[in-house]
Parts: sequence; structure tokens; C-alpha cells
Amino acid sequence: MNRQLKNKLFTYATWIAVVLSTTILFFLFGVILWNGLPAIDLNFLTQASSNFGASGGIIYQIAGSVLMVLFSALICLPIAIGTAIFKSEYLISKKLHAIINTLIYSLNGIPSVIFGIFGLILFVNILGMGISWIVGSIILAMMILPTVTLSTYHSINSIPTIYRESSLALGLTKWQVIRKVLLPQGFSGAITGLLIGVARAIGETAPIMFIATAFSGVAFPSSFSEPVSTLPTHILALAQQATNPDALQNAWGSSLMLVTLVVLFSISALIFRLKHQTISKR
Amino acid sequence: MLGLTNKVGKFYVYTSTLISAFVVFLIFIILLINSWEAISTIGLDLISLSWNPAKGEFGIISMLYGTFVVTFIALVIAIPLGTFTAIFTSEILASKYRFVVKSTLELLAGIPSIIYGLIGIAFLSIWFQDLFDLQSGRTLFTAGILLSVMILPTIITLTDDAFHNIPEKYRETAKGLGLYNSEIIKEVLVPIAKADIKSAILLAFGRALGETMAVMLVVGSIDRLPSPVLNWLSPGQTITSKLGREIAETSFRSVHFSAMIFMGLLLFSIVLFLTILAQNSSKKTERLYE
Repeated sequence: MNRQLKNKLFTYATWIAVVLSTTILFFLFGVILWNGLPAIDLNFLTQASSNFGASGGIIYQIAGSVLMVLFSALICLPIAIGTAIFKSEYLISKKLHAIINTLIYSLNGIPSVIFGIFGLILFVNILGMGISWIVGSIILAMMILPTVTLSTYHSINSIPTIYRESSLALGLTKWQVIRKVLLPQGFSGAITGLLIGVARAIGETAPIMFIATAFSGVAFPSSFSEPVSTLPTHILALAQQATNPDALQNAWGSSLMLVTLVVLFSISALIFRLKHQTISKR
Repeated sequence: MLGLTNKVGKFYVYTSTLISAFVVFLIFIILLINSWEAISTIGLDLISLSWNPAKGEFGIISMLYGTFVVTFIALVIAIPLGTFTAIFTSEILASKYRFVVKSTLELLAGIPSIIYGLIGIAFLSIWFQDLFDLQSGRTLFTAGILLSVMILPTIITLTDDAFHNIPEKYRETAKGLGLYNSEIIKEVLVPIAKADIKSAILLAFGRALGETMAVMLVVGSIDRLPSPVLNWLSPGQTITSKLGREIAETSFRSVHFSAMIFMGLLLFSIVLFLTILAQNSSKKTERLYE
């Protein structure tokens, strides 16, 4: 086989792969939009679900999802910022740095169902917190911790050393430097990371399905220790009665709503990142 | 006063780091303690074929088999497809479209897995049922195909980064020597990007092993090996789908529960190993000359 022919074959192979991938990817978006749009109207978004989800709307599912990720963000933020400051400002040993990095990446790689059974054992059974949405928030906070930590770390770490040296020369203590000079910068990284993390957390089903949610008869919770219903677990319950066309229709509607929320968070993260570029890049 | 806030600040920073670092250990320890019952009472019988809690048989082979078959199918499809697509987006597509392609891929990677599951139930399994004339379209094969679609964006975007990070100079020099495009990619770019591609594949491997919702909905959930063993068009079970379906109905501290947690521990260890391998693989890339 001569070289020219080989080159041609390679180009064809590439094109075939691209056409296949693009078809698959557009099919996915198409299916979600095509099936989801007819299911969504104002009633669907503002009513409670009834008849095991086959009729009615998803207002409590939306509320439950948003509530849970909001609290997971609140729980995660202080720990992520603290870890990022430590990694960037206090940690000198390269070896320890590598170890902490490995731990953070490992946490990021743990399968979501493992978080679920971990939460089931520790919080629901050993600590006796029962099936409640706050347990779900704690578990989701653990899942997004690596994302938020790394994002915060990168934005703090990219601040040029001269800022730290100038502030120290003015007589500020280390903590004042961190609080007045570095944190205002690092905060934008933390928010970007949080938005990305929340976009991931809101779609997670496996970690919360045994520990934080109930399917039917759930309204807005009045305490920390009640289960809620969320969009992903609602879709799961409806998907299991897929032979019922009404249930399936509502599953598609909930899916489109969930994807919309994910996209909203992702796009806000993107906009936030572009708006608050770090000092070094200005 | 200043010294005090300094100390409080330091305390806060150290505590948060300890918490972050401790979580992985905590998960490991909790899994280990709770699977100990199964390890000590069942022992080597865990590695057997039959899973029947009523008779006290807890063999995990069929779940392990399902996990690896599903992951294997997913990787065999997604790796070539993803790598070739990444070569296109990085080397052939004009760079002004790059932003659009990257954002689309990121959006796709963000679609929650439960929605892939819904698509699998509503379309994929029904197609396969008609296509292969099966009793039910929920099979190991269906789960593998669905999983390959799910990990495709991850592989494309990471491999695309690996190619894109190579300085332009390498391509120009190779072109100057009269190499064809395919030869540049094969002889120059792939060897440089190899470490990063490897880590992309390892990460996708880990993600595929741990994927739960989509697999659980389409795999069929039957705890036995297909017969014959290589008939992947029959229902099966993976570790994740087993955990997802059964753990909530199992009573805490029973042997049954413990055997389930043992599978979780196994999965945790394999995925952790792959993650660490991936991280070390991408670190070893040698310095490129600009």
C-alpha cells in the first residue's frame, strides 16, 4: 500500500468517526428536546405531582433538587476554601503536596453509588439521621469538594508572588494577606467551581436515592430530617413505569427541566469565569 | 489580637485540609468494616457463581463478569471512535470552531446519567429487542452500547486536549520533511500525546466501571452468567446495578448487606487504582520544546 492511499484511508476513517459521533450526539440532544418540549407547560412546572407522577407537575421535585444542591454548596464552600488556602499558602513540602493531590483526585474518581452506600451506612444507620435531605446535601458536598477545591486553588495560586510580598512588607500578618489580598481573588474561583460542581450534583441519582429521597407524597420539607423528592429520582421512578405513556411523557418533561438546570449552572460558571479573570491574566 | 486571628486562621485552614484528606480514608474504612462480616463468614465462597441470599450463597462472579463485559464493550467502541473524532477536532477542524465543539462536548458530558438511562429504556432497548429478536432488549450488550455513548464526550475532549497541547512547531517540521497528514499524526503527534491519551482512557475506564443509573435501567438485572458465557445479548448484572437495586431492601448489618458492601469495596479499590494510575501517567509527559 503506498503512502498516498494510506493517507486517504486514514482521512476517511477520521470522517466516518466524526459523522458517527456527531450523529450520536445530536440524536441525544434531539431526543431530549423532541420528547421533553411537548410535556412542559406552566401547569407542569407549577403543580404538585399526583397519581404516582403520571399526572400533575414537578414543582416539589424542582424545589427539592435546588434545596439539596444549595445546601451542599454551603457545606462544601468553607472546607474547599480552607483546603485551597492550605495547598497554596501553607504547604511547602512537595511530597505532601503530591499526597494531597492524589487524595483529592481519588475523591473525584469515586463512583457515585459508593457515596450512596457510604451515606447509607454512616449517616442513615450509624449516626441514625434517617432518610433525610440534609444527608443528601452532605454527601453531594463531598462529591463536589474536589472540583471546588481545585478551582479555588488555581485562582489563589495564580496571584503573582509580588502581591504577597508587597502586603507582607507593609506589615500585614499572613492571615491578613490571605483575607484582604488573596481571598477576594480566590472567591471568584470558588464560585466558578461551585457552579460547575452544582451542575454535576443536581443531576446525580445514585448517591441520593437510598438516603435522601422519597417518591410520592412529599411536599416542601419543614425540617432537616425529612426526605424530599428530586428531579433525578423522579425520572428514575417514572422510567421504571415506562409502559405507561403518561408517566413516560412526564419523565421526558422532567428530563428536559433537569438538563435546563444543568445547562444554566454550567453557563453561569462559564460567564463567571470569563468576567473574573485572575490578576495575572489581565 | 492579630496573632490570635492569625492562629485561628491557621487552625481553620488545617482543619479543612484534614477533613478533605480524611474523606477518602473514611469511606474506605467504613466500607472495609462493613464488609468484614462477609469476608470472615463467607470467605472464599464469595468467589463463586451462585447468588442466593435465602440459601446464604453470596457468589459475586456473575456481577464481576457483567461489570467487565459492559465496560469492555463500552471501551472497545468509544476508544477508537473518540480518538479519531478528537484527531478531527484538533488537527483537521479549523480552530475557530473549536470553542463551539468544546462547549457542545462539555454540555454532553454534563447530561445526567439518569437521562441516558431513560433514553436507553425508551429507545435503545426497544431497538435491540426488535433488531435481534430478543425476549427483552435489556441486556449486557445494550448496557455496553449505552455506556460507550456516555463516555464518548469524556474521551473526545481529553484526547483533543492532549493533541492540542502539542506545539505547532512539531507539525510544521514534520510537514517540512514531506510527511502526509496521517503520517504526521501517527509518527509525530500520537507518540507525544500517548501518555495523556492513556490517562484519558484510564479515566473513562474508571467512569464506565462506576456508572450506575443508566446501566441499572438497561442491563436486565439477573444474577447469573449468560449461557453460553459469551452470549452478551442476554440479561446480566453489574456490581453497580446490583448495589443500586438491592441495597435499600437489605437490612443493615446482615451478611447479605455485608456481601453487597464487599462488592462496593472491590469496585472502590479498582476505580481508585485506575484513578491513581491515570494521574501518574499524565504527569510523566516529558517537557516539550517550544
